[in-house]
Amino acid sequence: MIIQLLNGLQLAMLLFLLSVGLSVVFGLMRFVNLAHGTLFMLGAFVGLSTVEATGSFWLALAAGTLAAAVAGGLLYLGLLRRLQPAGPLKQVLVTFGLIFIGLEVARLVWGDYAERLPGPASLAGATEIFGVYYPTYRLFVIALGLAVAALLHFGLERTRLGAVIRAGVDDRTMTAALGIDIDRVFFAVFVVGCALAGLAGVVAGPVLSVYAGMDMGVLILALVVVVIGGPGSLKGAFAGALLVGMAETFGQVWLPEVAGMLLYGLMAAVLVLRPQGLLPAGPRA
Amino acid sequence: MTPPASHSRHAVALLLAVLAVGYWLASGYYGKELVAETAITAILAMSLSLLVGQAGLVSLGHAAYFGIGAYALAGFGQKLGWPPALAMAAAVAVGALLALVVGWVAVRLAGVFFIMITLAVGEMIHAWFLKDRSFGGVGGMSGVPRLDLSGIGVDLADPAQFALFALAVALLVYLLLDRLVLSPFGQTLRAIHQNEERARALGCPVGRYKLAAFVVAGAVAALAGTLAAQRSAFVSPELMTWTLSGEILIVVIVGGSGSLLGVSAAAALWIGLRHQLSTMTDHWMLAMGVIFVVLVLVAGDGIDGALRGLWRRIAARRAARRAA
Amino acid sequence: MHKMRRAAVRAAIVGAAILGAGVAGTAQAQAPVKIGLVLPYSAGPFVAIANEITDSMALALEESGYMAAGRKIEILREDTTHKPDVAQAKAKKLVFEDKVDMLVGPVASAELTALFDFAHQAKVPLIIPNAGDNEVTGEKCSPWVLRTSFSNDQIVRDMGRWMAGKGFKKVALLAFDYKAGHQLMGGFKKPFTEAGGTIVTEQYPPFGRLSDFGPWLGKIRDAKPDAVFTFFAGPPATLLVQQFKEFGLDREMKLAGAGWLVSPLSLPSQGKAAAGVIGVLNYVPAIDNPVNKSYQERFQAKFKRTGSEFGAQGYDTGKLIHAALTQAGGKTDDKAALVKAMHAVRIEGTRGPLRIDPRTNNVVQDIYVFETELQGDKVGYKVLDRIRDVQDPPNGCKLGG
Repeated sequence: MIIQLLNGLQLAMLLFLLSVGLSVVFGLMRFVNLAHGTLFMLGAFVGLSTVEATGSFWLALAAGTLAAAVAGGLLYLGLLRRLQPAGPLKQVLVTFGLIFIGLEVARLVWGDYAERLPGPASLAGATEIFGVYYPTYRLFVIALGLAVAALLHFGLERTRLGAVIRAGVDDRTMTAALGIDIDRVFFAVFVVGCALAGLAGVVAGPVLSVYAGMDMGVLILALVVVVIGGPGSLKGAFAGALLVGMAETFGQVWLPEVAGMLLYGLMAAVLVLRPQGLLPAGPRA
Repeated sequence: MTPPASHSRHAVALLLAVLAVGYWLASGYYGKELVAETAITAILAMSLSLLVGQAGLVSLGHAAYFGIGAYALAGFGQKLGWPPALAMAAAVAVGALLALVVGWVAVRLAGVFFIMITLAVGEMIHAWFLKDRSFGGVGGMSGVPRLDLSGIGVDLADPAQFALFALAVALLVYLLLDRLVLSPFGQTLRAIHQNEERARALGCPVGRYKLAAFVVAGAVAALAGTLAAQRSAFVSPELMTWTLSGEILIVVIVGGSGSLLGVSAAAALWIGLRHQLSTMTDHWMLAMGVIFVVLVLVAGDGIDGALRGLWRRIAARRAARRAA
Repeated sequence: MHKMRRAAVRAAIVGAAILGAGVAGTAQAQAPVKIGLVLPYSAGPFVAIANEITDSMALALEESGYMAAGRKIEILREDTTHKPDVAQAKAKKLVFEDKVDMLVGPVASAELTALFDFAHQAKVPLIIPNAGDNEVTGEKCSPWVLRTSFSNDQIVRDMGRWMAGKGFKKVALLAFDYKAGHQLMGGFKKPFTEAGGTIVTEQYPPFGRLSDFGPWLGKIRDAKPDAVFTFFAGPPATLLVQQFKEFGLDREMKLAGAGWLVSPLSLPSQGKAAAGVIGVLNYVPAIDNPVNKSYQERFQAKFKRTGSEFGAQGYDTGKLIHAALTQAGGKTDDKAALVKAMHAVRIEGTRGPLRIDPRTNNVVQDIYVFETELQGDKVGYKVLDRIRDVQDPPNGCKLGG
């Protein structure tokens, strides 16, 4: 039971890292970046190549994060900003096209075989916690997720940029009217979100395996997290990730018959009953 | 948004059909398969065009209705042994019914939220058929019966004849949807699309109109699904993946979302391009992805918009000549 | 690019053949035998398998210079794009437009379902190089559909008795919740319980969307088995092997399974965690016979990696087809005679002696039990046991013979 809880928590933190960027962009810019999973995969592959070249997992972590950030920045400046006036539909479709480009580029560069991204030697083995032995690396994933969540929370609540972002999610026009360069805020948020997706990719590497196509499954999970939690909200993404992580873990074990449909049902139910999500962004109570 | 005069529209429709038949005549065996695939894709795209272009409802789960039509035909026709014609009609009804249930809750949502709920429901249905082993699960099921048209000398088991049959159905669907778009119903949909608040203020039951459009689109998508199942006598969950929904959405946008003929032409372009590229390289998806992105970037009003611009210029020149 | 070149070569060959027919009227003797490959080359999870089959089949045919009984053998490749309806349309194209003499394919079960009926109705030999559905050479069998790879049941049928005999009395089962998963687990279970073993738990995660084995391994640990018998391939197999070790289950029980679990395709991504796994399969690179040695040497020289069971099946398929064409004297017009020739030939393949059983159209072959072990700093294979001449019962197939 404790092991399953830790499993759920570990998956939840991975999902949180992956979806928080997607969620804030969704809330701020009102569009879904379907290529978000592709940046996750890019992070994993760049991390893999870095480990192969240098042997250092920590360098890989930095390189994967950076690569996704750069790719996200180029994507924003090159395509998405231009499509802003054309509305969300075209942005969604362009990022849909990018999924296939990303998949093929990954196949061309890294081949058709699944690879393993080895975790750091210092985190190998298992650690005793609450009376059970649990893989140390997975405990690291949980700790990292919590740390990033705390950092983002501090950034959003205590800094000027954070205040602007919150204001932007609440009311975009009003924020722009206050003389704030909303485009630069969008850019910054988008790049940070992509960087976190890349980070999630490297972190997931030792837990999942790395292969062209690994982005497809996680993309849908991330969308579920965003919708359930409530787009644009950090707390929402965190709560959504926890719920989805636990539902995935316990749903598969306790309700294997319906586990395949459970998450989508949950997502549809939230959309119908509470379209703003469980913990929506917006004027705080 | 208002369609051009009906005679010029029907002339273009006729031209497209003639082009398709011409290709059918000129091509070898595989070309005929491509004609069938194009016709089915065109029907699916036209049904989504009604949603996206007329009603402004962007669905990312349209493949679910396509797939449900195919599976329902397999269920009624093969498992229950109903005559194929009846099974086909029932399958279309199932598509409409599913759309009614889903649409009843979905049309209350707008924009990205509508995209998300159609995606969620589509994936739910996909997950069901992946798991459900009575229809073969992942492996799918073969032996789906085809319509018996031997009375008029047509054998649908022959891929060449099936292609012409699918083309005829596509033409029929076009005529039907074209009437619908022009009808007061279609006008109201466009009015809602342009300004929902205003339509509501004028006392229009907005939700009911959107729901009706959703149901019609679901039924037509299911019809396309029954054709897909008959073409290969086979169904599998591949028919309802969300990436297929995305592809069809792109076809619709490239065609010019509200134009039935535009999206049909885009369907032909899409299938032809994919075939051409895949004979050239195993990495054809890369090329398709790039073309995708470029087309969406430059699409504007799509093929329909581009052609209409061309038509206007020709007409203007002709008018100028007449005046001279 | 090479696709275009091949198309040009093909056009040239066809052109020459037509010219030859016009001039001398002796085209029949000179026209090549055409074999159509219908495999997922460009999309989906089986691209690596498709290429491995194709490359290895080429190795087999190169040995004879692509000649059998005086006729040239020509390979036509069509890409299913991992879509069943495309697979079917491409197969029809190969038969009706390119006039191939036989089809080889596919990999995925959905594509097989889509191809099966067509081959059966069109009476074109379809040779399955990798798909295990029992029914295809059982109750659903067709005189035109032959299999050179395996049936799911054939792989695991003797494994239950083997494991019970080695003292693994309590076993947990773990496989995806789909047809192949249930066939392989079911095929293992019955003989195992008859041999006195107990299944302590059976777990079937939903197919195709697994993110983590953690929850399942937790349940299996609670059931305290001596071993867990599994069926996974590709990325999920890598995941399972790693997580089994991560959770320390390797200290409490043995990991075993249908041998794809530790396939040469997966070993590089599994690392040292893959050592100590027991597998059962129709092929393992460590098989000690001259055919396999030469195959592995040539494959490794050309592709710089170990040939997998998929490659071995592709190679053996090429050898079987070549032997049958030779047996039929190069005549391919009579497709029934061609199938008869396939039944008649006996070859030594990478997997040992091989033949096609006329009662079921499934291959008769040896099955190997093996274990992975650390060899230097790499994981390699050690054959533990060889079960000879494993032949499927008809299972409702009425081909007689």
